[in-house]
Amino acid sequence: MLAYVLRRLWQIAPTLLGVVLLVFFLFTWVGGDPAYLLAGKISNPEQIENIRRQLGVDQPIYVQLWIFITQIATGDFGVSWATNEKVSEIFATRLGPSLTVLVPLLLVDTLLAIAAAMLVAYWRGSLTDRLVMIGCTVGQSISILVYIIAFQYVLAYQLGWFPVQGWSESFTDNLFRFSLLPIIVGVLVSLAPDTRLYRSFFLDEINQEYVRTARAKGMSETRVMWVHVLRNASIPIITNVMIQLPGLLAGAFLIERFFSIPGIGREVLLAVERSDFPVIKAVTIYVAIATMIINLLADLMYKLVDPRVQLK
Amino acid sequence: MIPMSPLDSDDILVGIRDLTVSFRVDRTTTFEAVKGISFDIPANSTVALVGESGSGKSVTALAILGLLPKENSKIGSGSRILYRDRNLLELTQGEMRKLRGCDISMIFQEPMSSLNPVFTVGFQLTEVLTEHAGLTNRLARARAVELLREVGIPEPEAKIDAYPFQLSGGQQQRVMIAMAIACEPKLLIADEPTTALDVTIQKQILDLIADLQKRRRMSVLFITHDLAVVGEIADHVIVMRDGEIREQGPVRQIFEAPRDSYTQALLLCRPQLARRPKRLPVIDDFLDRAPAAAQDVPQRSRGLRGDEQIVLEARHIGKSFWSREGLFGQREFKAVQDVSFKLAMGKTLGLVGESGSGKTTVGLTLMRLHDASSGEVLFDGKDLLSMSPREAMQYKRRIQIVFQNPYSSLNPRFTVGQILMEPMHIHRLGSGEQEHRDMAYALLEKVGLPGASFFKYPHEFSGGQRQRIAIARCLTMKPDVLICDESVSALDVSVQAQVLNLLQDLQDELGMSYIFISHDLAVVKYMADQVMVMNEGKIVEIADSDEIYLRPQHPYTKKLLSSIPRGWRGPGGNGDRL
Amino acid sequence: MIGTATIAAGPGHTESPGLWVLAWRRFRHDWIGLVSLYVTAFFLVLMAASAAGLIAGDWGKEVGVSHAPPGFMGPGATATQPAPRSAGSPDASRGQQKDDSGIADPLADVLVQIRAKAPPGSVDTDVADPLADVLAEIRGRSGSAAAAEARAPTLLFGGDKWGRDVLKKAIKGTETSMFVGLAAAVLAALLGTVFGALAGYYGRWVDDAFNWFYSVFTSIPYLLLILSIAAVLNQKGTVTVILILGLTGWTGIFRLIRAEYMKHKVREYVQAADAIGASNTRRIFVHILPNVSHVVLVQLSLHVVLFIKSEVILSFLGFGVGVDTVSWGSMLNEAQSELLLGNWWQLAAATAAMAVLVTAFGLLTDALRDALDPKLK
Repeated sequence: MLAYVLRRLWQIAPTLLGVVLLVFFLFTWVGGDPAYLLAGKISNPEQIENIRRQLGVDQPIYVQLWIFITQIATGDFGVSWATNEKVSEIFATRLGPSLTVLVPLLLVDTLLAIAAAMLVAYWRGSLTDRLVMIGCTVGQSISILVYIIAFQYVLAYQLGWFPVQGWSESFTDNLFRFSLLPIIVGVLVSLAPDTRLYRSFFLDEINQEYVRTARAKGMSETRVMWVHVLRNASIPIITNVMIQLPGLLAGAFLIERFFSIPGIGREVLLAVERSDFPVIKAVTIYVAIATMIINLLADLMYKLVDPRVQLK
Repeated sequence: MIPMSPLDSDDILVGIRDLTVSFRVDRTTTFEAVKGISFDIPANSTVALVGESGSGKSVTALAILGLLPKENSKIGSGSRILYRDRNLLELTQGEMRKLRGCDISMIFQEPMSSLNPVFTVGFQLTEVLTEHAGLTNRLARARAVELLREVGIPEPEAKIDAYPFQLSGGQQQRVMIAMAIACEPKLLIADEPTTALDVTIQKQILDLIADLQKRRRMSVLFITHDLAVVGEIADHVIVMRDGEIREQGPVRQIFEAPRDSYTQALLLCRPQLARRPKRLPVIDDFLDRAPAAAQDVPQRSRGLRGDEQIVLEARHIGKSFWSREGLFGQREFKAVQDVSFKLAMGKTLGLVGESGSGKTTVGLTLMRLHDASSGEVLFDGKDLLSMSPREAMQYKRRIQIVFQNPYSSLNPRFTVGQILMEPMHIHRLGSGEQEHRDMAYALLEKVGLPGASFFKYPHEFSGGQRQRIAIARCLTMKPDVLICDESVSALDVSVQAQVLNLLQDLQDELGMSYIFISHDLAVVKYMADQVMVMNEGKIVEIADSDEIYLRPQHPYTKKLLSSIPRGWRGPGGNGDRL
Repeated sequence: MIGTATIAAGPGHTESPGLWVLAWRRFRHDWIGLVSLYVTAFFLVLMAASAAGLIAGDWGKEVGVSHAPPGFMGPGATATQPAPRSAGSPDASRGQQKDDSGIADPLADVLVQIRAKAPPGSVDTDVADPLADVLAEIRGRSGSAAAAEARAPTLLFGGDKWGRDVLKKAIKGTETSMFVGLAAAVLAALLGTVFGALAGYYGRWVDDAFNWFYSVFTSIPYLLLILSIAAVLNQKGTVTVILILGLTGWTGIFRLIRAEYMKHKVREYVQAADAIGASNTRRIFVHILPNVSHVVLVQLSLHVVLFIKSEVILSFLGFGVGVDTVSWGSMLNEAQSELLLGNWWQLAAATAAMAVLVTAFGLLTDALRDALDPKLK
């Protein structure tokens, strides 16, 4: 096991290097001279030179790359071009709100999707099944933007059941007042694709031969579904949930932006609009590292859940 | 309808009356798998249900337990399945569930996929006991250990916590049997339980089932396609074809005096150990006219004189596979070690072994489809294995191979014509499109397929026909050597006979040399002049085929030969009539 | 055990059905699939007609009053005089709108006259350009015959803030989104299939190289990746969007095709091709590719949907297509502030158009998948 972990960590290095290079060249090479972007319409060459020196972009490429790498290693990305806040601090303070919305969202969505998928898989081919599936397809075809706009308008603005947007200092207040509508919208949007996916997992399992054996042993349908099938289907389901985890860190951009939740996603959107490169670079790198580590954890967890897996 | 054989009516455990099962294939078509059959399963006896694929035997078994898929199967309204005096088709789901696993239980063909991969053996075993026998967990576990011991699993206290993938195929099947007999059923249905197992393991499982049947005085419904197996274990035999019962009766009557032509055909189509007719009889020979007495058919002699020309010689072939171990290490698995042999021109060399013996690997290595780890193969004076790929191309067409699985050896997206003409294009044989077509049509005729096949796709043909196409593909290049890698193993007995006859005809006509790889000893004896036995990557014995069956030298060969089901050996039977 | 299957038909060679013909026969019985096929075809025709300028070519013309309500609602109280147009629509996506409604604009009539003289479809310039009439004369006298038209009080599906016809915008938006979706999907499918084929077939270091590539791209969440690239490029336009989506969206297809090639490579028909002497290239493209093409088709269809949705989000945020191109995303953007005034029709039009197309595509994909690879549903 240890050998496997070590080997995987060793394999992460080139990928990480690849991401670093990708981000670096994307922002440095393709991105154009940031000094002009920041300087706005000032065309004074001396001022531009000043800014460039401040940003360090007057150095040759390999020096800049080296600076970038040390930044990643120490976790200090400098300051935001727009607000002058330290990037690492931005990240630290915004993580909390993002998770407050996204963790409950993921939990509720997964549980509901599993329940719905199992029911529908059991009744496969029936009218209920087809209606639910078509409902999912239609639901998925509506852009998340529409859900957010519509729900915000109707439920919050018109009916006043939820606050339209906002955030507070208290955790409970955030969780139970401000997060509710965002979570509802988020669950609605993710429920359709997840239900379809989990349904296909359940169907794959129901057609397996061990299900026939269990029935031949006289096990009840309930036991067959909830014990035998679920246990096997949980393997791809868990994998799917783990895949969604890095997304938690990146934040739900649109939801946070519309509901004015001070999370990472909203921060990223603002940074993108303002061409605030340090913030965008930092978030991209952080999330990439987190993704790789989560993938490794996912593989280890896979071993826990599926006894057949041999980690080599 | 052949009348049922007389049995004491109070001894009947299960009676099937007019069973009809149909499947909805798509919106417009239904397919009748079972067409109104009736038979009895007496108490304390073994009934064999015999048929080739598509005969409806498995469907019948599933129908008894109510395990047919509800969505697209339909049992006829006049059908009755009587267990003692209850009609199983009229029971509710709940009542049926009480019977399953308790009064009537079933084991299946593929134990690996029939066991739940994520639960331990113990969990799956105790489940049955807690559900039906109402035992507590501790008692159930203790009983489970006993059951594992009874079915012959070594170290049951340890194995009870093992996962299915950690056991061998034979052990998995024993576990399935343990689960099935846990609650002392009156009837055990076994659906081809040994078909997926090696012949030595098969014998063990058959002995186990027979033993359990006697000790517990239960009935066994044994479903199989293999008449030899039937002869060894059954009391009564039912022969099915295309959803109908062709004949049923006591085992002695079926083997000694079969009345139905299909039964007779089944008995004789299979290559036997005692005789070697020049051509195997095929079903068509029987269905229209009375068969010629088997003794009168001219025999073929096989064997090497010793002075034949050698067309191919293998020397010390080895093939290893490497897998990762630990942080930096590697583990070597020797699939083939030090294999040497000579192939005489115009003759057949048989290569026999169980799964994992390395026989298929040898074949693939000869074709350079695998890279050998060591050794040489001398063909026409040159070593094939050390040639560059370009040089090897010229020799590629002279050694060809027919694979085992007729369903995956032809590209589903090519028409038969394209399949046949492709080698001609690649090797630039013949002069132009028209000649290619003519050659293709000629080959189709040679292998006994209609010319219209040229434009058809593989999925429209049966397994036997596909093997013919594969053989025709090889013939386009006029090879000197043909390797048959389990080429008939996946075919039904009747179809097998046709393909074997074809192969033999081609050898007689074209003088090709064959390497015939198979796990089926009877077929190899029929086809081969010389036989090589392989075990765990090594050759354990080489001898002329008659020699090796009459006087085997190596202990493994002896064990292999003794495992072959001999068929019916009652009084009046000569032991080698299947 | 393999047994007897259907025996071929009688004499005379009729063309026997290959995979696609068989799939079509199955597909024909699936009425949901057929309906979605027709709907999708309709949208395609719409897209072509719109691209050729046959319809909705004049979407930019401000033919209705500002916020003109849909015809079935009757001219409502929300219709106002055309307000002076603020410079450039990107600003409209940020922050709040300063929309003064109901204040009579003394220059309104003059503006109407000026604008009426300009050739239709031209980008309107800023407010009260003193040279406007001179320019108009210079540009073209031919199209200026139309006198100052009275603005229509209602339009079929309503009008937006500047009185442009929502229906026409929706159709134009269809063209944009479908074009982007299709083009990006084709690009992604091409990359994904070629990379996947090479990686899956050759294995070893080729596979490692592609996998490294794949890991790098998938370590960054999709939306974050596109936004980063969009931020960096800082350049809008249809081609840019297509490139961004296509060059980042190949990863899903890559993984699937790679798995397919790894599976097929060890199948006996490929070994048989090797045995008869077929080269590697031949095996990859002539033998295996036809056997995975149905997977590619289904993936292509799925990605069209994904890219349409992504393009809408990008355009909404202002990073998508250019200013003078309509997208459902830009429509949704405008709809935000319109809702506050109670005008829901642009939101409804964009949502409905998108929902119908994406649903139809989705159902079509499902039907395709079932027709090509039928199994017990």
